[in-house]
Amino acid sequence: MTETVYVQLLDLTCGALLLTAVLILWRRDLSVIVRVFALQGAALTALVAVLAAHERSGELWVIAAGVLALRAGLLPYLLRRTLAAAGEPQREARPLVNVAASLLAAAVLTFLAHAVSRPLVTLAPSPAAQAIPIAVTVVLIGFFVLVTRRHAVSQVVGFLLMDNGITALGLLTTTGVGLVVEVGVSLDVLLAVLVLQILAVRIRETFGDTDLDDLRELRD
Amino acid sequence: MTALGLAGAVVQPVLIVAGAPVLVGVMRQVRARLEGRAGPGIRQPWRDLRKLFGKERIAPRGTSEVFRVAPLVLVATTLVITVVAPFVTVASVLNPVADLFVVVALLAVGAVALALAGLDTGTAFGGMGASREVTILALVEPTLLVAILALSARVGSTNLGDVVSSMVREPSRVISPVSLLAAVALVIATVAENGRIPVDNPSTHLELTMVHEAMVLEYAGPDLALVELASAMRLSVFLGLLANLFVPWGIATTATPAALLAGVLALVLKVGVLGAALAAAEVFLAKLRLFRVPELLAGSFLLSLLAVAASYFLA
Amino acid sequence: MTILLLPLLVPLLGAAGYAVFGWRRATVWLGTASASVMLASSIAIAAGDLPRTASAGLVRVDALSAFMLLVIGAVGLLATAASPAHLRTEIAAGRASTRTAARHSLLVQLFLAAMTLAVTAADLGVLWVAIEATTIVTAFLVGQRRTRAAVEAAWKYVVICSAGIALALMGTIVLNHASVHSGHEAGLDLAGLAAAASGLDPAVTRIAVVLLLLGFGTKAGLAPLHAWLPDAHSQAPAPVSALMSGVLLSVAFYAILRVKVIADVALGTGFTRAVLVVMALASLAIAASLLLGIRDYKRMLAYSSIEHLGLVALGAAIGTPLALAAALLHVAGHGLAKGVLFLGSGRILQATGTSRIDGVRGLLASRPALAGSFGAGVLALIGLPPFSLFASELGIARAGFAAGMGWFTAAAFALVLVIAAALVTRTSRMLLGPPQEPATGSVPMTLVAGLAVCAALGVAIGPLSPLLHDAASLLVVTR
Repeated sequence: MTETVYVQLLDLTCGALLLTAVLILWRRDLSVIVRVFALQGAALTALVAVLAAHERSGELWVIAAGVLALRAGLLPYLLRRTLAAAGEPQREARPLVNVAASLLAAAVLTFLAHAVSRPLVTLAPSPAAQAIPIAVTVVLIGFFVLVTRRHAVSQVVGFLLMDNGITALGLLTTTGVGLVVEVGVSLDVLLAVLVLQILAVRIRETFGDTDLDDLRELRD
Repeated sequence: MTALGLAGAVVQPVLIVAGAPVLVGVMRQVRARLEGRAGPGIRQPWRDLRKLFGKERIAPRGTSEVFRVAPLVLVATTLVITVVAPFVTVASVLNPVADLFVVVALLAVGAVALALAGLDTGTAFGGMGASREVTILALVEPTLLVAILALSARVGSTNLGDVVSSMVREPSRVISPVSLLAAVALVIATVAENGRIPVDNPSTHLELTMVHEAMVLEYAGPDLALVELASAMRLSVFLGLLANLFVPWGIATTATPAALLAGVLALVLKVGVLGAALAAAEVFLAKLRLFRVPELLAGSFLLSLLAVAASYFLA
Repeated sequence: MTILLLPLLVPLLGAAGYAVFGWRRATVWLGTASASVMLASSIAIAAGDLPRTASAGLVRVDALSAFMLLVIGAVGLLATAASPAHLRTEIAAGRASTRTAARHSLLVQLFLAAMTLAVTAADLGVLWVAIEATTIVTAFLVGQRRTRAAVEAAWKYVVICSAGIALALMGTIVLNHASVHSGHEAGLDLAGLAAAASGLDPAVTRIAVVLLLLGFGTKAGLAPLHAWLPDAHSQAPAPVSALMSGVLLSVAFYAILRVKVIADVALGTGFTRAVLVVMALASLAIAASLLLGIRDYKRMLAYSSIEHLGLVALGAAIGTPLALAAALLHVAGHGLAKGVLFLGSGRILQATGTSRIDGVRGLLASRPALAGSFGAGVLALIGLPPFSLFASELGIARAGFAAGMGWFTAAAFALVLVIAAALVTRTSRMLLGPPQEPATGSVPMTLVAGLAVCAALGVAIGPLSPLLHDAASLLVVTR
C-alpha cells in the first residue's frame, strides 16, 4: 500500500479509537457502553492490521488476531455476561461528574495529552508517532471514567479503556515490547477482568446492587 | 467578481427559497409514510405559506418594532448566506462574506433577532422559548465555528469556498479523522440549531418542552409566513453546507450551463437525501429531556474540538 | 537445572499440589515446606557468585535480587508457618470450608511465585507482568471472607492497583520507545538499560520515570494512590496481610529502585530524588494524620506500612550507599516485624472476634504470650533497639543529614515520632487493663521466632553485610 493510503488509514483508525472513547464517556446505558467498547476493540484491531500491512510483519498480524479475539470478542462478552446476570437494564445513573462536564473535561484532557506527549513525537517523527497523542488521550479518558463512574461495569470499562490506549501507544511507538511481554500483559488484563467480574457478582450478592455508591463500609 | 460567482449568486437564492419549503414537505412526507400515515403531500408547506401571505398583518398589543423587524432580519441574513456561501458553485460573488466566521455570525444574528422578538411579546411562552433558544445557541455556535475551523485548518483559509474546493481537489481528505469527528459534531449542531428531534420537536405546540415554536407562538399572517420560510431556508442552508463540506462532488467549479445544472441537481439530490435521512431518523428517536440537551451539545463541542486537535497534530 | 529457578518452581509445585490434593492432613504443611525450600535455596543463591542468569537471560539474580529473595523467603516462611493454625481455627469457627482453605493455600503459593518472578526478572516488562499477577492472585485472598467489607476491599484493591499499575505499563512502553531510539540494543533488559541509560532521550525518559514511579508507587502503597492499602490489608486473612504488608510492598518498591538506577543515569540524581521525597513525605503525613484517629488495629498496622514504605522511599531518595543499605535493611526488618504483627493481630481477631481497638482490653492479663509478642512487635515497629528497624532508621537519618537533606529528614522523623506515639497509646490500650476473660493461650512460636530474627538483624547484620553492601552499590550512581 502507498504511503498516503497508509497514513490515511492510520489516522482514520486512530480517529475511530478516539471517537469510541468519547462515546463511552458520553453514553449512560451500560449495554450501549459495552457495545461501543467492542467497537473500539475492532478499531484497535484495524490499527494493528494497518501497521502490520505496512511493515509486512507476521508478528503484528498475530498480535492483530490476538487483539481482535481478546478486545473485540472475549472482554466485551465477559462484560455483557456481567450485565446480563444483573437482570434489568443497567444505567450509569449518577456519575460523580455529570456527563456534560465530563465531556468538557475530556476536551481539556485531549490538550493535556498533546502537551505531555510532545517529546514522544519529536523523538522519532513518523506518521505512527504523530498519532501517539491520540493513544495518550484514550488512556486519560479511561482513567477519568475509572475515577468518576460509580457503576462496577463502568469502572471495568474505564480500566479497559486505559489498557486499549496503552496497547495502541505501544504499537504506535515501536512494534511492541516483545511477544513474551505482550502475551503476559494480555493474560494479566484478561485475568484482571475475570477477577473483577466475579467480584462484581459478589458485590451484588452482598450489597444487592452493583452501584458502588454503597461501598461505604471501610473508611476512617 | 467572476462569472461563476455571479451565476451562483443568482441561482442559489432562487433555488433555496423555492426549494426550502419543498424540503420541509419532503421530510414531513417521509415521516408520515414511515409512521403509516398518507401525509399531506410535499407541496403542503408552500400552500400554507401562500395562505399565510394572503392574510392581514397583525401584531399583539404592547409589542415593539423588534417584534415586527425580527422576521425580516431572519430572512435577510439567511438570504445573504444563500447568495455567498458555496452551495451550487464554489466561487462567491462577495468573497470576504463567504468566510466561515461571517456565515456563522449571520446565522447567529438571525437566531438572536428571533429570540429578542420572543422576549418582546412579554408572554411566558415567548420568554421561555427565547431563553432556551439562547442557551442552545451558546453551545451550538462554538461547535459550528470550531468544527468548520478544523476543516479549514488544513486548507489554510477560513473561506468556505476554498475549503470546499480543496475538498473537491483532494477527495481523499474526506476520509480522515478530522472529517469524521467534525461531521458528527456538525450533524448534532445542525439538528440542535434547526430545532429537530431529539433537541426540539418541530411539530408540537402544546408541550412545555418546545423551544422554537414557543418563541414564534405570537406570530400570525405574513410575519409567521416569513418566519416559517426562514426556518425552512436555514434548514436547507445547514444541510447544504453539511453536504458540501463533506461530500463536495458535483458542485460547479466552472461557469458553463452544464456545470451549473449539475451543481443544482447535485445539491437537490444531496440535501434531499440528507433531509430524508434526518426525517427517517427522527421517527426512531425520542425527544431528549431539556436538561439533557446541554450534554448532547457539550459532546458535539468536544468532538469538534477533537477534530481541531487532530487537524493540527496529525497533519 | 540451575538453582536460580528453584525459588520460582517450588511454590508453583506447591500450588499444583494444593490444586490436585486439596486441603487434607498430608498437605497442611506443604506450603510451609515449600517456603522453607524457597528460603534455603535463596540462602544458597545469596552465598554463591552473583550476578547469575538463567533461562536464556530472562532470569537474572544480582545482589539486590538475592536480598529480596531472602526477604520473600523469610516472611513467606513466617506466614506459611502460621497458616495451618489460622485456617484450622477459621474452619472450626465455620468461617471457612476445606475448599476455602485449599484455595487459600494454592493462591498463597502462586503469590509467592509471582513475587519471586518479579525480583528475579531480567526484563522490565516481565517484572511488570509479575507485579500485576500479584494483584490478580491476591484479589480473592483479600475478599476471602465474603463479608461486605471484604468484598468492598477486594474491589477497591483490584481497581486501584490495576489502574496504578497500568500507568507503570505505560511508563514501560515509553521507556522502551526511548530505548529503541537510543541506538543501543538494550530493549527493556534492566541491566542493559542501566548501562545504556546515558543515551536515552531525557525528555521521554522523564515521562517514563514519572509514570513508572507513580505506577509502582501505587502498588508499594505510596501516596497519592495509597487508598486501597488500609482496606485490603485489614480485610485479608492474617497470613496474607503479613505477606502483602511485609513483602509485596517491598517487591513493588524493588521495581522503583530498578527504575531509579536507570533514571539517575539518564536524568541525573535530582529528578527521582525530588519525586521520591515528595511521595515519601506525603505518605508519612497521610499515615500520621490518619493514625491519630484510628479505631481498628488491623488498619493501624496497615497505615504503619504506608509510613515505613515512606521511610524506605526517603532512604532511596537520599541515595548515598549508607542510605540505600539502611533502606534495604529497613525492608527486611519491616517485613519481619509487620509479618509478626499481622499474624498476631489475626490471632487477636480470632480470639476476641473484633478488630476494633476499644473492643480489646487487658490482653496482657488474659493472653500473656500473644500480647507480649504483639507488644514487642509494636516496639520493633516504632524503631526501638535491639530490633533492626532501630539500626535502619538511624542509618537513614544519618545519611539524610550527611547528604544535605536535613530539613526533609527532620520533617520525616518528626512525623515518625507522631506515628510512634499514636501506635504506643493505641497498643497500650489494647494490652493493659483488667482482663475480659480468664488467662489462656500457648506461646506462639512463629511470632517469637520472627521477632528473634528481627532483633538479631538489629544487633549484628553478620553474613548479610557483604550482600547489603553489594546491593547498595548496585543502586548508587556516581555521575
